[in-house]
Amino acid sequence: MSRRGLLRLGGGVGAAAVLGGALSGCGRAAEADPVTSGTVDLSFWTHDQAYVDFFATAARNAEAAGDAPFRWRLNPTRAGAQDVVTKTIAQAIAGRGTPDVAGLEINNFTRMLRGEIATELLEPLEGHLDADVRDDLLTVRTAPFSKDGHLYALDSDAPLVVYYYREPEFARASLPTDLATWDELAEAGRRAHERHDVAIGAVAVGSDLTQITQIFDMLLMQRGGRFFDEDGTLTIETPEAEQALAFLARGVQEGFLTTVSDFYGPAMQAALKSGQLIGQWMATWYKIYGLMPNVPEQSGQWRIRPLPVFPDGGSRTSFTGGTGFAALRAKRNTLAGVELVKAAFLTPAEQIRRYVDLGYLPTRRSVFDAPELLRIEDEYCGGQRMVEVYRDLIDEAPVFYLSADRPILDTVLSGHLLRAYHGDSTPAQALRDAAEDFRGQTRDHD
Amino acid sequence: MTTLQDAPPRRRRQLAPYAFIAPFYVLYALFMVVPIGAAVYLSLTEWVGLGTPEFVGLRNFADLAGDTSFHKALGNSLVFVFVSVLIVVPAALLIAQALNTRGLRARDLFRVTFFLPMVISPIVIALVYTLVFDRQYGLLNSVLRALFGAGNTDWLGDPTMVKVSIGFVLLWRWVGYLTIFFLAALQAVPRERYEAAELDGAGLIRTFTAVTLPAIRPVTAFVVVTSFIGSAQLFDEVYLITGGGPGEETVTVAMFVYRAAFERQQFGYAAAAGLVLFVIVFGVSQILNRVLSIGRIS
Repeated sequence: MSRRGLLRLGGGVGAAAVLGGALSGCGRAAEADPVTSGTVDLSFWTHDQAYVDFFATAARNAEAAGDAPFRWRLNPTRAGAQDVVTKTIAQAIAGRGTPDVAGLEINNFTRMLRGEIATELLEPLEGHLDADVRDDLLTVRTAPFSKDGHLYALDSDAPLVVYYYREPEFARASLPTDLATWDELAEAGRRAHERHDVAIGAVAVGSDLTQITQIFDMLLMQRGGRFFDEDGTLTIETPEAEQALAFLARGVQEGFLTTVSDFYGPAMQAALKSGQLIGQWMATWYKIYGLMPNVPEQSGQWRIRPLPVFPDGGSRTSFTGGTGFAALRAKRNTLAGVELVKAAFLTPAEQIRRYVDLGYLPTRRSVFDAPELLRIEDEYCGGQRMVEVYRDLIDEAPVFYLSADRPILDTVLSGHLLRAYHGDSTPAQALRDAAEDFRGQTRDHD
Repeated sequence: MTTLQDAPPRRRRQLAPYAFIAPFYVLYALFMVVPIGAAVYLSLTEWVGLGTPEFVGLRNFADLAGDTSFHKALGNSLVFVFVSVLIVVPAALLIAQALNTRGLRARDLFRVTFFLPMVISPIVIALVYTLVFDRQYGLLNSVLRALFGAGNTDWLGDPTMVKVSIGFVLLWRWVGYLTIFFLAALQAVPRERYEAAELDGAGLIRTFTAVTLPAIRPVTAFVVVTSFIGSAQLFDEVYLITGGGPGEETVTVAMFVYRAAFERQQFGYAAAAGLVLFVIVFGVSQILNRVLSIGRIS
């Protein structure tokens, strides 16, 4: 054998040896001696500092109450919502350094549903819950974080979608605030747009594809449709989807809906500040993360109400957003992680505190009836008792399911939505094309 | 264990050269052979990131052949390659030619100005251009409305205009960097050649084609090949400004790979797409090397 051949052979053998070891060692073995009580240092990963503060306080509260089996000391790590999932999986591949508790934003949680990732990484929670708590949890918020009958994360919110409107501007534009249907609001909005150059809502058209589909998804769910069935089948070629998209396309073309490149960025701020955008359907958290930071000077002017309905059916609300907190399985701190999530997210007192501190709604049905919650008057919304609105809606909230293929749908659907907005295709055609593209990209042998 | 020092003198002499070159080969194997080997191996598997990869043979490549998204990504990458090679490179040459003009004042100021976009963070560039290109509230449409009363172009939402917008950002960002190479090459062209051309009665264009271009051919070849490789692997600008949208109108192959791996957990599929990109870039670069005679011109 020549020297060059020898070197090539050596390189090949070395690569094969390293590869074999690296890729076959990706399974996760259980760590020794699970901690069952006492002080425990928990690595806690999330995309939002507010969660760190909330969990730290919840840990202290549970410790002070004296009935917690653990004394938790959090080692928080903050990263982007996408990075939390990416780094968790990367650390799992490396075999060390995974978090004990991770907050998985719902759009990124879909990645956990691919293959056996959730099963391999996350502790099933259903066995850790008391029967009364399990029955009290909103199934509409446990279904998205479940797979094959196992619940892998507890949601931080029941993010109901309501219609936000700026009351003085509605009055100035002679827009009634109690119109029952979208058609009525659209007609009034069209007239107001022509006379006052205002919009009763905005749709995202920027680079964040999730935002583009999110706006449509909210109305689709409200109308009674959804992206995916329970078994993960795509269900966008429906009359419900057509009606929801037709409303959006009509709104953009007639001007009563404006377009923004980013719902949380400068374009939306400009639309709100300029007074051009005077209403928006959005989740409960939008007041805190959208309105208050962008237009603090409009405090006291905004109100919420149930969504106007579609004449042909559906409900008065929808869902968007959410973050599931999960404990990583087969670790020393797995049980401590599970107990922390339970302590922070499942007691009625903490669910009420979560609404007060973070603006996130309870995920236990019974807590919606708590008098201290119902009594809260919201300063930004002119003293409105917002939880009364939410309680009125919570039993109408639609069930929806996640799919590992949701990112593919976001990619293909967003483009066709924009074409429908521009009038380049009809709603039915856009949905058909999106479904066709989706099927072309979905690899059913994953 | 037998070491080199324990070996007989003759054997030691035979092994010594290998010991000297070993560090290079060890590093080469670790950082080149293993990653490429891993990518090739992964491309033949189905792997979500956890557990053992499942060997699927060439199925990933067969799927890529029928994947409309991948075709779109290839087409988009081709568009940006053309923009880079056919617009950015000639523009850089023209600017370099202008900067090379004798007696030009503030030459260094111009040079720095053109080079500046290259040292700005892509994040900042994306933020600025997102604001500039915004349909409703963007600077560009506002200026167009103020000047001409018409500024409703959806620069980032229209399938055609978005490519124009990204092409402009590529031009703005890279032209100054490439200008530096051309300027260095132009300044190295002997003046006697221009004087000879002048004596022969050559005009500006004739001088440019007969003297300048042949003289800077090695640098041109280098710039073309590196621009091709860079634009074929374009990621930052499109990811940050459009996210590949609207729809998939600006998804490049590099973005396709990223999306498959880190948004869809399809590591095997991503590796296959990466391998296809590698083969295309390597193949075309080799062809360009031969066509432009890189390394064979003094």
